[in-house]
Formats: sequence, C-alpha cells, structure tokens
Amino acid sequence: MIRLASTAKAALAAALLTAFAFVLIGPLANLALWSVAERWYTPYKLPVTYGTRYWEQVFRPTGDAMASLGTSVWIAVLTVIVALALSIPAGYALARLKLPVRALFMVMFLLPQAFPSVAIYINVARVFYQIGINGTVFAVVLVHAAHGLVYSVWIAAAAFAAVDKDLELAARNIGASPMRTFVTVTLPLAAPGIIASGIFVFLESLDEFTGTFFVGVPQVTTLPLLLYNAAMGGNYQVASITALILLVPSVLFMLFIERFLRADVLAKVGA
Amino acid sequence: MRILTVACSIAALMVATPLSAQTLNVATAGDQNMVDYVKDYLGPMFEKSHPGVKVVSVGTGAGDSGSQKIFEKLDAQKSAAASDFDVVVIHQKAAGTMVKEGLLAKYTDKVDTAKLVSSETAKNSLGADVSGFVIPMFQSQTALAYNADMLKSPPATYAELKDWAKKNPKQFGYNGIKGGMSGVAFVAGWVYAFGGDADKLIKGPYDPAVKATWDGALADLKDFNKSVVITPGNAGTLDMLNRGEIAIGPVWVDMFYSWQADGKLPPNMKLKLASPGMPGQPMYYAVPEKTAHRKLAEEFIALATSPQVQADGIVKKFNWYPGIDAKNLEGKLDQAAWNKLFTDITPTDLSKNAKAFPIAPYFNDILEGYEKKVAN
Amino acid sequence: MSQRQLALILIAPGLLLVAALFLYPLGFSLVSAFTRPDGSLTLEWFAKAFELYSGDIVFTVIIVLASCLLTALAAIAIAGTLTLGENRWVVGTLKALYRWPLFIPFIVAAQCMRTFLAKNGLMNNTFVSLGLMDPLSATSFLDWRGIIATFVWKQTPFVALLLAGALASIDRATLEAGRNLGASRLRVLVELALPQVMPTLLVALVLSFVTMLSVLSVPMMVSGSQPTMLTVDMAFRINAYGDYATANALGVITYLISAGAAILYLKRGMSKEAAP
Repeated sequence: MIRLASTAKAALAAALLTAFAFVLIGPLANLALWSVAERWYTPYKLPVTYGTRYWEQVFRPTGDAMASLGTSVWIAVLTVIVALALSIPAGYALARLKLPVRALFMVMFLLPQAFPSVAIYINVARVFYQIGINGTVFAVVLVHAAHGLVYSVWIAAAAFAAVDKDLELAARNIGASPMRTFVTVTLPLAAPGIIASGIFVFLESLDEFTGTFFVGVPQVTTLPLLLYNAAMGGNYQVASITALILLVPSVLFMLFIERFLRADVLAKVGA
Repeated sequence: MRILTVACSIAALMVATPLSAQTLNVATAGDQNMVDYVKDYLGPMFEKSHPGVKVVSVGTGAGDSGSQKIFEKLDAQKSAAASDFDVVVIHQKAAGTMVKEGLLAKYTDKVDTAKLVSSETAKNSLGADVSGFVIPMFQSQTALAYNADMLKSPPATYAELKDWAKKNPKQFGYNGIKGGMSGVAFVAGWVYAFGGDADKLIKGPYDPAVKATWDGALADLKDFNKSVVITPGNAGTLDMLNRGEIAIGPVWVDMFYSWQADGKLPPNMKLKLASPGMPGQPMYYAVPEKTAHRKLAEEFIALATSPQVQADGIVKKFNWYPGIDAKNLEGKLDQAAWNKLFTDITPTDLSKNAKAFPIAPYFNDILEGYEKKVAN
Repeated sequence: MSQRQLALILIAPGLLLVAALFLYPLGFSLVSAFTRPDGSLTLEWFAKAFELYSGDIVFTVIIVLASCLLTALAAIAIAGTLTLGENRWVVGTLKALYRWPLFIPFIVAAQCMRTFLAKNGLMNNTFVSLGLMDPLSATSFLDWRGIIATFVWKQTPFVALLLAGALASIDRATLEAGRNLGASRLRVLVELALPQVMPTLLVALVLSFVTMLSVLSVPMMVSGSQPTMLTVDMAFRINAYGDYATANALGVITYLISAGAAILYLKRGMSKEAAP
C-alpha cells in the first residue's frame, strides 16, 4: 500500500516535471527548429525541409556575425568590469557605513531600469556627440554600465552585508588598518557575491540594443542589433540563429561564475 | 587610486578606435533583407569600382520606427562636425520631416540617374516638397495576401471584404495601426473606400474639417474589428497566414515575396489589390546634410539607381517594383523576371488601385481618429 | 572624515554615472512632458495621454501585476522544491532546467512565444498530436495571455535564482523541526521558510516589475495592438507623429507606476533604518 502511494507520488512528480520541462523547453525547441527550417508553413506541423542555408547566410564572408559577436562579448566584459569597479565602493558604503537616506540611494540605482529609455538615449547621444565620444566602445560601455548598475550595486551591497562583522573586528583588534582590513578580510569574503553579480550585468549588456544604436552605431555594431532587426522583421531563421549564438557566451559566463554563486549572498540581495 | 588608473587606461584603450577616412556608412530603415542588399550586393560592387573605400551597412529596424531612429540620430548630431551616416534609406514620412529640419542635402542634380525618375513620389512625400533631396530605391505596395487553398475567390473590393469578414469571422487579420505600416495602409484604404474623396486626401490641400466626415467609416471599422483578428505586426500577419490561422490579410508586397522565398509562406499564397485602392510608398535614398563623404555618397546612389542595378538587384533579386521609371529597364532584364512582378497584380490593377498615402496632416488625422474612435 | 562623508565619497562614482547618463537626460524628457513648444507650462500632454490611452494604462498595470504574481508563485514553487525537495533526481533535473530562460533576451523570448503560443503553433500542435486536444478547440494565446506567459517565462528563473539562494541560507534547524513535528513540506515552506525570505522575494519582484514595464518587444511582437502596453503607445507616438511630448508624458506615467513599486521597497528600507 505504502509502495503504491509512493509510486503514485513519483509518477505525479515525474508528470509535473515533464510539464515543466515542456513549458521551459518548448519555446527553446521552437527556436532550434526555426534555425534549421528552410521551409515551414501550414498545414505542416514541423518544418517541410531542413537545412543549414541560413547558418551559411549568417556566417557568410560579407556578414559580420562573428565580428559583431566579438564586439558584443568585449563590451559585455568591459561593462562588467566598469560596473563592478563602481559598485564595490558603493556597495560597501550601502552595506556597512552610516548613510543618510540609504533607501533613496538604492532606488536611485534602480531608476535606469525603470524608465522606458528611447527618449533618454537620444539625449545621451546628443551629449556624447558634443564631447566627441559617440561611436566608441567606451561610450557603449558607459551606457550599458549605467543600465546594469542596479544589479551589481544591489548584489554587492548584499555581499558586503553577508560578511561576518566579527572577522573584521578581529582583524582591526590585531592592529590592521581599516583599508588593510577591507582588502584582506572583507573584500575576499564578499568577492564571490560581487563576481556573481557580474552575470546579471553581463546578460543585461548582451541584451541591450537601443542604447547601442544611439551611442555606438555605425562604428560599433553588436550582435543584438542584428538580432533586433531580424526579429522585428520576422526573419525567424536569422533571428533564431543569432539568438543561439548569443546563448554561447551567456552560458559560458554563467558556468564560469557558477563557482562564485553562494547562497548566503543571494539571500541578502537588496536588503 | 589604483582602480582609477586602471579605469583610465582601459578607457584610453577603448576610445582609440579611429575611423578610416574612406568608410561609407549606409543606414537602412528596413528589414534585414534590405540591409543585406547593401551589405552583400551594392556594397561589394561599389567597393570594386572605388578601391580603398569600405561600405558599412547598418540596419535600423523595419518600418517607420527605423526611419525615425535615423532621424533621431541625425538630429542628435546637429551640432557635431560630421554625421555618422553618409547615405540613408528612409520612408516617406521621415523624408518630409528630415527635409524640413534641414538634415538632408540637396543632391539629385549631381546624380544623372535622377533624370530617370518621373514619378510624383520623387518630388512629393506625403505633401512635403522633397524634390532634389531623394531618389526612390524601390516602390512598394500593400495588397491583400490570401491562401488560395482556403479561399477560391477573394473579395475584390473593400465593400466585399466587409461583408465577407462578417460571414467568415476571424478569417481576416490585420495589425491595427501600432504594429506596422501594412495595418496603417489597410486603414487608410478603408477611409479612401468609405470616407469620401481619396484624391483630396492624397493631393491636399489640408482642411481640418474633413476628418469629421469619416465618423461613419470609423464606426463601421470598429464594428468590422469585432469579426477580425488583430495580428502582432506586419510580420505577425504573414505569420498567421503561414500557419493558416487567417485566410487573408493586408501585407507589403515586397515582404510577401521575401517570405515566400524564405519558405515561410505556403506556395499557394496569392495577392489581390482591393479596389478602390490600397496605399503604397517608395523607399528613398537620401544624403545627410553633414556627411563627410558627399561625393562618394552621390556616386553610391548613382550606382544604386542605375538601370542595370535596378534590373538585377531590385526587380530580379527581390521582386520589388523599380524606383526609376520602368521604361529604363527595357533590355536590361529578361521578360520572365519582369513578368513575375505582375503575376498576381497586373499593371492595370496597379495603375487603377495603387494609391499613395494621404498627405501628412490627413495621415495623422486618420491615425488619431482610429485611436480615439476605433481602439479606445 | 566622518563615516557619512566617507560613505558619500564611496557611493559618488556610481551615482555620478547614473546622474550623468540617466538623470540629466531624464530632465529633458520631463521638461518636454510638461511644456508647450513655446516653453510655457502645461498639462495638456497628460490630458491627451489619458484621453487616448486610459485603457492601456489600466491594461499595463494589470498585466504587470498579474505577471509578477504568477512569477512569484512559479518561483516559490521552483525554489521551494530545490530547497525542500527530497527526491534527488527531481531536484537535479529541476536545477538543470529552470535557469535557461534567463539567457534568452526579451526580444527572442517574444519571438519564440509568438510562434509557440499561436493557434496552430508548436504548443497546440504538440497537444493535438499527442491526442490531448481536439484540433477544432485550439485557440490562440496571442493576446494578454501571451504577454503574461512570456513575462512569467522570462522572469521566473531570475526570481527563482535569488529566492533559492535565500532559502538555502536560512537556518535549516527550524525547518527540520517543523518537519519533525509532522508539518507537510508545503506548510513548512509557506509558514516557516517564506516569511524569512520575504525581503529577497520582494526585491526580486520589484526588479521584475520595473523591467516588465519597460519592455517594448514583448507586447509589440506577442499580441495585437488593441489594447496594448504603454511602451508600445510611446513608440507609436514617436514613430507615427513625432510627438515626443505625449510620449514623454506616458513615460512619466510609467515612471509613476514604477515609483509605486519602488515605494513598497522604500518603506521597508525606512522601517529597517528606523529599527536599531
């Protein structure tokens, strides 16, 4: 009897998991199918002919998919560096120091996520043209960093908050300077969380196209721009292939960062 | 401090990517196939005849939003020394605005092929005088696409379509007015059909009182919308035709052909230009006022609008209607390729039922009327 | 140097970036939303926004709230199973699966869903082929349901990731005690675990809320345009009429909606600051 119940339970779990997998994988399978579909139309439920024609088109010699991918990844990595460089001090201040209107500051970093941004980017582009940095990787990195900063600042603050204060006190008691304590005790302990926040910044940067268009194009072109054009125009094959290509650096970066994701850090995000 | 130094050196590294003096940037507001047309076809051809020049093709997205982005970018650069783009491919509405804002250069007198264009659209863009500023790249047209398997005799007029949609609920689909121009064109055609004098809307002059006469037509459209599907965008309409979810819907003829070539539409799809008429519009080649490579830009456009390129690239490759007058293509093209343009829509249909969009103020009145009386 | 000054100095570079690249340009948008071309103050753009888009404002709020709610439920289910699940096989599979949508940009998610959720899309086709559904009863989900489905699909992994982290770090002893007293896992999750991780959940939802509000591609590509979300209306105002004033007014309205979410967060922060 008990055995029967546990079998039923396992079957239910398996069914739920299958349904969940379908919901998750279904749309992605759709993506994969479109990337190799050369012809697909009603009444056929699956592609009529498969082939690699569109892969060849994306990777053709005059196409610059690989160069754009390189630029995209390079920009994303730089964005992560800039965002982390800014958010380590900011995160420490938010987590450890007495700060007037702390919550307001936290919300300030949320703002760039919140406002639908075309109008903003036009004005940013105007300023960048005046100071002559439009069309550089640097300009694109700045824009992406401002946008992704909410993730890195909030998570860095959490990471610092998660560091045991007693350890810092111990270091101070044996005579270490505040700076030395920070560099040798606090920062290494908070590092996993801080590095982990990089993944959100990285993904954010890899998704972005509106800002890139206004401050980067035509000198800097990234893969999401190509993706955006293809997807908006309904060019499913090219859009799917581009999306699959973009998946590679995202997943690699995630695997790399996985080692740094620590539960107790994630627990304090935004706190 | 150390972080600051590192940051500065990284910044210096990033800024140091100077642009070669001989790069011609071509920005295209259009689908990927138009961007690729410049990248793969025109660009290499131009580079061959101009050694040392590199053509960079950038897409800004399909539809008016793509043109709007080009406008915004050029506008943001008003006070800069030179603009980023040297040649732009834009829609009618943006062309009018950009000429008015002084963002475009008058260049067609320097380009011989401009003489091969006699159509009204080369001078007048939705009521704005653009003569001298633009040469059409190609002419496009909206039409009803239908699945010949599901629909043996498609409605031939707007009035027939109205009745047909009532009898066949959810079989007609269009994309409203916010999802792209094929839906907008359908609505403009609706107003032409039921709202009175199409010619007046196309030619002007503008009279703000006219919009009150459309109330009946718009109320009918609201009623009509109840028995149709509102699709997500130009591509969304084609998408639903692809999956057989709708039997008929308005599409851009050029998109229709490229989707069919890409195997995304059943082979038995056909086109029908409903009377009293549906709008079409050209894409324009234009040169930004502040380009640093004006001469190159003009030569590029001269190449792009030359009869041979228009025949091979525009007509044969993509089934687009040529931007320059058709008679100039004679002898450059085999008859079969030319005839293919007119398989479903005959030249007579075109001359009778291919309309322009209304002039800009009427255009805006129609859109806003739709927002007020049909959508909200 | 006081601690406050030090704190302000440390936070300054980040704030400066946000101020220069966001607040300053935002200023122009605000000015354009509240002034006529001649520079005089006006609320007419807001009046216009309400007249034309009142329905869409309500629609947007409902969509985003519903998406957040469903995202929260899905994320709790996933994170709860990951933390309290006893079947290693189930937990392992779930862990391997649930994060994938995180890597899919919104625009791609929108495109996937557009062909997946359609009447004759891959989902319905699969059901029909498996005999789970009669072909005639297939319906299209490409309307508000499609938007919500896409948002939930895309945001759940993000919320679940943060929530699972939080759940993993709470004191296991209480949870074990609850289990030993005979409470079901569901009860342990809802009554013991969740209250401890509420702050994390709230923050993850605020971030999701704000992100969903500012996404253009999903409502644009997944559903027809009547009614639609405010981002689509903003884009339309600009692209069709070149009307930045009303678009910016709509932006301000969107912004106020986000502020509503942010205030929830602020309140929590304030009360925490006040506490010792």
